[in-house]
Amino acid sequence: MVDPITARRISYWGLFVLIWLVILLIRVLPVDISAGGWPGPNWTILLAFSWVLRRPNFVPVLLIAIVLLIEDMIFMRPPGLASGLGLIGLEFLRGRAQFSRELPFMFEWGMVATTIFGLMVLHRLLLSIFVITQPSLALDIIYFVITIATYPLIVMISSRLLGVRQAAPGEVDQFGHPI
Amino acid sequence: MARERNSNDQFTRPIRRILVGGLVLSLFALFLLWRIDSPRVERFRAALVDRVVPSFDWALVPVTKLSGMVQGFQSYNRIYEQNQELRRELLQMKAWKEAALQLEQENAKLLDLNNVRLDPKLTFITGVVLADSGSPFRQSVLLNIGARDGIVDGWATTDGLGLVGRISGVGQNSSRVILLTDSNSRIPVTIQPSGQKAMLFGDNTNSPPIEFLESPELIRPGDRVVSSGDGAVFPPGLLVGQVELGPNRRLRVLLSADYSQLEFLRVLRNQTTAKVENPGGLLIPANQSENTEPVVAETNEADDG
Repeated sequence: MVDPITARRISYWGLFVLIWLVILLIRVLPVDISAGGWPGPNWTILLAFSWVLRRPNFVPVLLIAIVLLIEDMIFMRPPGLASGLGLIGLEFLRGRAQFSRELPFMFEWGMVATTIFGLMVLHRLLLSIFVITQPSLALDIIYFVITIATYPLIVMISSRLLGVRQAAPGEVDQFGHPI
Repeated sequence: MARERNSNDQFTRPIRRILVGGLVLSLFALFLLWRIDSPRVERFRAALVDRVVPSFDWALVPVTKLSGMVQGFQSYNRIYEQNQELRRELLQMKAWKEAALQLEQENAKLLDLNNVRLDPKLTFITGVVLADSGSPFRQSVLLNIGARDGIVDGWATTDGLGLVGRISGVGQNSSRVILLTDSNSRIPVTIQPSGQKAMLFGDNTNSPPIEFLESPELIRPGDRVVSSGDGAVFPPGLLVGQVELGPNRRLRVLLSADYSQLEFLRVLRNQTTAKVENPGGLLIPANQSENTEPVVAETNEADDG
């Protein structure tokens, strides 16, 4: 027996994986292989972060861990590093989802930007501790700026089109518990 | 599940925290394992990619073809100018063809006089590019040929004209090529006609810089860059590109391979390629170092002379 709330939650897990697969597919298309282009935003992290601040139930830790680890493997990143940091960021934001609900969007944007910036600094720090060649700082900063600039777009798409909205204050689930 | 969320919160939260912490720690442990025993984890990665990416094949091929068609359609807009350009180029090519024929005959005669036997080991397998790295920080492509077709780590790949990269990571049905532009790519090269040895350092740009050059004043923009065969990394004499003077007067290489349109790649079979077996092992295995190195050095000298 599956109650409607659980069914809805599972369908959003499926939706997350589907969106991720489509983005992955587009990114690995061998259309233009030449180097030196502008790095695109980090779609997976943006999607996960924007969802966790709205409906923490829609992005379970294990799902995101698997998704990020597969991404690490396919994109030839050091396996486990970026995904571990991503999980830390996700859980950090999950703890503040309740808190950000009452604040304006600009504040949420700033919080996500700070989190991603912190993760980037940690990533570079760990890479240099373990003596791994890392991309130039300029490239990383461009990547960061593009990622942050895309965040409102992701939020708009996921709340308007996909219906991932913050629960209204006082909204209750089937059993009368507050969400 | 919906019920436990609120009433049991104070009991589930510490457990949840431990589980999440364990997950993060195990991911970092995987990273440490990769750092310590990279060949093993990279083999696992190759196997995983081999399982995942070719299953996208049904989607990758039509979409790639479609985008190619869109690009082709855009180029119809300037078909007249292209036609004129091609005519001019054809005229030049005819002159070159004549020169090449004469040189070929001369070369054949000289080879005959010297009794030279060309290396019969250097045959090739052609593969189709399945996917690119998908990350802006990594320059690599995935080919649809793998261990099944006898591909071995370290073999050179070309696009028919110039060197493209090096096989790194072989799965059953797919193999990854690290391009010369990747920030992990280091290739020993020789610069003709001065014959100087140098290294080509990939740095995520389209024209990688040349490093470890003994006397840069002997190098001029337009000089040919070929692979040197040092360290048994690549067979010697493969065309890489031409020297150009980058910003800050840094010497860079304009690659001969057309990186914007990599579709089919040739993988050169090369039996003498050095293998990396142990984590942190040197590029040349201990038992081969006495045998291969002098041979490689000799062939290089023969090439240079």
